[in-house]
Amino acid sequence: MRTILTTMVLLAALAAAGAARAADSWGLPGEEEARFEAKVVDMLCELTGDCPAECGAGKRQLGLLMDDGTLILPLKDQVPFAGAAAELADFCGKRVVADGLFATNRGHKVFALHFVREAPEGKWQRANRFLPKWAAANGVDPKSEEAQQWFRNDPQVEKLIAAKGKLGLGIEADKKYLDSQ
Amino acid sequence: MKPRIAAALGGLLGMALLGATASAVSAATPQRVKVTGEVIDSWCYLTEIMYPEGTAHHQCAIWCAAGGIPVGLLGDDGTVYIILKMGTDTASVANPSVLEVQTHKVSVDGNLIERDGMNYLLIDKIVADQGIVNLTHDDYGIQPFGE
Repeated sequence: MRTILTTMVLLAALAAAGAARAADSWGLPGEEEARFEAKVVDMLCELTGDCPAECGAGKRQLGLLMDDGTLILPLKDQVPFAGAAAELADFCGKRVVADGLFATNRGHKVFALHFVREAPEGKWQRANRFLPKWAAANGVDPKSEEAQQWFRNDPQVEKLIAAKGKLGLGIEADKKYLDSQ
Repeated sequence: MKPRIAAALGGLLGMALLGATASAVSAATPQRVKVTGEVIDSWCYLTEIMYPEGTAHHQCAIWCAAGGIPVGLLGDDGTVYIILKMGTDTASVANPSVLEVQTHKVSVDGNLIERDGMNYLLIDKIVADQGIVNLTHDDYGIQPFGE
């Protein structure tokens, strides 16, 4: 009984510590799971010294600066077709623990952020904060179909696709192509 | 008392110099470049999770750029650049002026900063814009859903 209780307490402690928050495989080329500590930085600030307040207030790409000086630009979060800037914006200038996947392909090593927490022991956040932020900005329920399909309903996307089509060649080119399929 | 004040001032000066040095070290030296190539989505191109070029991938590239995935430029020589600035606009997340040229073949002037295996491009000016010329949809359909 004591062993069972001890095991349960250990499992609960591990869960509370977020040990289970590990990235799932996406089957990427050269894929590696990774968890590391880093400081969240404004990429342009880090590279050029041009440093506006709040890391550019959501308008700039954010990077992960490791203690050895390595600068990582996360390209992706866990939301379909969304990047990691929205996930890291709340951590500007802070140290975080980043959990995700590296992929190595075409001569580059890139990172997809799956979970993040303030270092050393903050609460894990799944890297899907883009969606509620998008929903709030567009006045819709984050659980709605409209939000889940945000990429089809984003005003900027709708405007561009309406003007230039899915192929970028104009509406007539879209129609001609899709009718031929 | 005076030596202690001098020591304190010296310490502060030293810290200021150290700070200046650290700042100078973190800001990499840019290199002037002219690049011609196709504006791409960096994630889809570098992971090859789908066919990532031209008209077949245009809609997806718009989605990804609007979602804040860094936009790239695929040079004619195959070099991949990440665009962090367009003209005087330093926005690189869902920047409308960058979305406008997604999938276009462009020639740009700017500064290149290489760091940790990535090529970061700070575009000063698009000097030529040929529009979308890479017609790939007949071979690859519309990525990734076919519609």
